[in-house]
Amino acid sequence: MSASDNERIAYLSGEPVESLTPQERAELDELRALLEAPAAWEEPDTGLEDRVVAAIAAEARGPVAAPAPTKPARARWRLRRPVLAFGGLATAAAAIAVALVIALGGSSTKPLQFAMVVNGTSLAPGAHGSATLTKTQSGWRIELSATGLQHLANGRYYQAWLKNSAGILVPVGTFNDAQKVTLWSGAPVTQFRSFSVTVQQANGNPASSGKRVLVGTAHPVH
Amino acid sequence: MQDRDLRARFRQGDPDAVREIYRSHGRLVYAVAYRVLGDRGLAEEATQQTFVKAWRAAQSVDERRDLGPWLAAIARRVAIDVYRREAVRSADPLESVAPGDPALVAAPQSAEAVYDVWEVREAVAQLPADEQEVVRLQHLDGFTHTQIAERLGVAVGTVKSRSFRAHKRLAAQLGHLRE
Repeated sequence: MSASDNERIAYLSGEPVESLTPQERAELDELRALLEAPAAWEEPDTGLEDRVVAAIAAEARGPVAAPAPTKPARARWRLRRPVLAFGGLATAAAAIAVALVIALGGSSTKPLQFAMVVNGTSLAPGAHGSATLTKTQSGWRIELSATGLQHLANGRYYQAWLKNSAGILVPVGTFNDAQKVTLWSGAPVTQFRSFSVTVQQANGNPASSGKRVLVGTAHPVH
Repeated sequence: MQDRDLRARFRQGDPDAVREIYRSHGRLVYAVAYRVLGDRGLAEEATQQTFVKAWRAAQSVDERRDLGPWLAAIARRVAIDVYRREAVRSADPLESVAPGDPALVAAPQSAEAVYDVWEVREAVAQLPADEQEVVRLQHLDGFTHTQIAERLGVAVGTVKSRSFRAHKRLAAQLGHLRE
């Protein structure tokens, strides 16, 4: 490498160098500015990877379709058969009402949705999956898909839970196999964001066994 | 063949494929987003949106296309959208806004400028750990060689050697940026 290259490197590394031209100095200062930019060094939060995976999993499942709007039958009849002037006024009002129903009922507003990656605990280290949590009129629908958990039967089953920051647990459903499960929560996911699955025994005790096999944290998608 | 299989699994939303692509390109996408937005939370949001958009578009992207520049282009557009959203949202009186607030920052970086940070990020990541540490302390934290030597508990000459080697590698890899 030529002496001038060594001088450029020395300047870049912070050594005082007098032999550089103003243009060389300006070019190297630009490169130093890039090295000084926080963007060249900042690391994202370690949880971002899980959030990206969960967001794409939610996209892959697709959004919940808004219910098709239903037009009132009387209004539809009136739109087809306007006859009298008096009836014409009623027809116009009905048309407006129908338009409002279509506009409001057929809204393309996306439902509130969370997503999460779920991972196995030391009791089930090979378990892994994802879930989407969608707010509906009936409550929060949780669609879980996980592999690595054995099928349970003969009095043993899985129980899913949501927990809030105060440690309050709410049960959201029981199942035997985690590959494709739909669970429901009456508690808001916006507050109950810690998810877990425990192994339970059908012995009349509804409390959590504490034997957690799957855990995850819900994050908003949109 | 492996790369084609990875892309196919990514298009299908395979979580393992998503992780693999995130691990190879996530930091770079984040660097581009951070370069535009200057805020960790917003840059993470933009990074997440970038990978979602990349997944949506994965069906139509040419398999031969290099993923890196493609993701960088998406990241820049997403970050600019986030920047504009935040600029519109900020309705505080001017004197109450912090100097670094995105609403006050000049127009987002050009495509060349944000891709430059991608290349710098990649070059820095390839440095040996001891050299990377010296470069970081020097450029990001603004320490002199003497101060770095004191922090690391090594001789000043060792710091200077590491710094020279590191910058020689960086100059070789990044010299084209200034052409």
